[in-house]
Amino acid sequence: MQQGNLTALSITICIILTVVLIGFLAGRDKATRSSVEEWSVGGRRFGGLLVWFLVGADLYTAYTFLGLTSTAYTAGSLAFFAIPYSVLAYFISYFFLPKLWKVANHHKLTTLADYARERFDSKLLSSLIAIVGVLMLIPYICLQLSGIQDTLQVAGTGFINVKVVVITSFLLVALYTFFSGIKGPTYTAIIKDVLVWAIMLFMVVSLPIMHFGGWNPMVDKIVTEAPQLLTIPTEGPKGIPWFITASFVSALALFMWAHAATGVFTAKSADAIRKNALYLPLYNIVLILVVFLGFIAFLVLPNGTDPRFALLALIQTSYGGIGQGLAYSTIALASLIPCSIMAIGASNLFANNIYRDLINPKVKGAKLTMITRGMVFVVIGLALLFGLVFPQALVSLQLLGVSGMVQIFPAIVVSLFWRNQSREATIIGLLVGLTVTFTVYSTGTSLGIYEGFWGLMANFATIVVMNPLFVKKAKSTTNDVKEYLFEEKTKKVDLVRKGA
Amino acid sequence: MKKILLILFIVLPILAQLVVLPFVNRIDPIILGLPFLQFWLFLWIVLTPFCTFGIYQLQKSQGGLD
Repeated sequence: MQQGNLTALSITICIILTVVLIGFLAGRDKATRSSVEEWSVGGRRFGGLLVWFLVGADLYTAYTFLGLTSTAYTAGSLAFFAIPYSVLAYFISYFFLPKLWKVANHHKLTTLADYARERFDSKLLSSLIAIVGVLMLIPYICLQLSGIQDTLQVAGTGFINVKVVVITSFLLVALYTFFSGIKGPTYTAIIKDVLVWAIMLFMVVSLPIMHFGGWNPMVDKIVTEAPQLLTIPTEGPKGIPWFITASFVSALALFMWAHAATGVFTAKSADAIRKNALYLPLYNIVLILVVFLGFIAFLVLPNGTDPRFALLALIQTSYGGIGQGLAYSTIALASLIPCSIMAIGASNLFANNIYRDLINPKVKGAKLTMITRGMVFVVIGLALLFGLVFPQALVSLQLLGVSGMVQIFPAIVVSLFWRNQSREATIIGLLVGLTVTFTVYSTGTSLGIYEGFWGLMANFATIVVMNPLFVKKAKSTTNDVKEYLFEEKTKKVDLVRKGA
Repeated sequence: MKKILLILFIVLPILAQLVVLPFVNRIDPIILGLPFLQFWLFLWIVLTPFCTFGIYQLQKSQGGLD
């Protein structure tokens, strides 16, 4: 590894420390950690703009920038699957998130698994969902870890012990998350999002000018020298069918992630969520341009550059100390802040839906709050341990994260609209979906289609076929959530009829 | 009329960003400095919020939101 740049390293470390400090200051008011609802979803008081920053911050991570550029570098336009995926994710969310938020708000729920437990009266289902959620989220936190590790390696080789700095910075994040709860990442998210926009736009404007004399000459050069990068392959294991199914499944999965759900539950009204669904696609303007940075790396960097370092190496060869420093700190923040939100999501699932629902149902109040907050250290500790000790074992889980997460979609979203969806069919469907996904993945029989798509189809089919067997009970029983979702309207109709 | 508009706003973003991809998977023509596939995706980043906004307004006018 090439020697780092001291100016760049100092800037990066200064910015990280400032943000950590702000993270602590955000939680200096004791109320931020007074209850699970305050600590994990900010007492549901955040307005539209704050939620926009928060959701934007936790979905556009270091891995997004490093991973997309390296995909573009190696596989060309396949990287663009991220665009329809996230645009459609927000679009589709418009139709179910406001409803989900209303139920969660009315019944004081803080996780998706909480919702499933109340909706289906099933602790088995809620703990299953929580286990899937935590199992898929820890590898995702590890990805953030490797994001900051790669960044510091490029910035600090020759000056610092990268592993020690990575571990220290993650422990600092765990500490401020424990202390400030969701307030920490929210306020720092604003700094991170502004930096991301400024730095990415700066790179997209300056890099083509520096290396090709402008945007249009760059596009001309890609068209003549590497046209294969610009279209989706029509054959091979990952072609158009993969692109379409991957976009679609990922779009359905996005808000099934615990960290995305946490961001959504902080909103103060259903309308704030609708407005978010409206404006969030615009975040992708920066994303589509980032993919082009991968193409620039392809043309500029010497053959044999490790694709994982494509963006970082491009920054290193193109800018001086200050430019490098700002770019590295942006990527570092894009790894630390989402990590904090993910840790809150995972801790919440662990404490509420695995510890309380399965192990100790009597726990509540101050003790549950403390356990939830304490879990942050366990979650980040596990991520550090796995990331540093078994990096290889994580690869499959990371690849399967989206395919696994989407399997809870019928339990969480379809159940908002289908009154007679039964608990038994939903649980069996979830298990079948997971099994099919893992089988298709491990036997390599995906036939050019995204693994999660097969799983989700099997999941849906199972529910539709099994449901009639259990529908009688589902029809005759009711509970608070079902009443809130389905029976309020009929009550209103009755009232109107009586009035008439 | 309102119902047709509503269905259009719901279906268009999904059709445009998934179903028609095999037909827009090309380099020429280059528009606004973007090869056609990239231009198409960029276009729908901008158009999708308009569709969502249309749905929002239609629902609001029918009093379906709270």
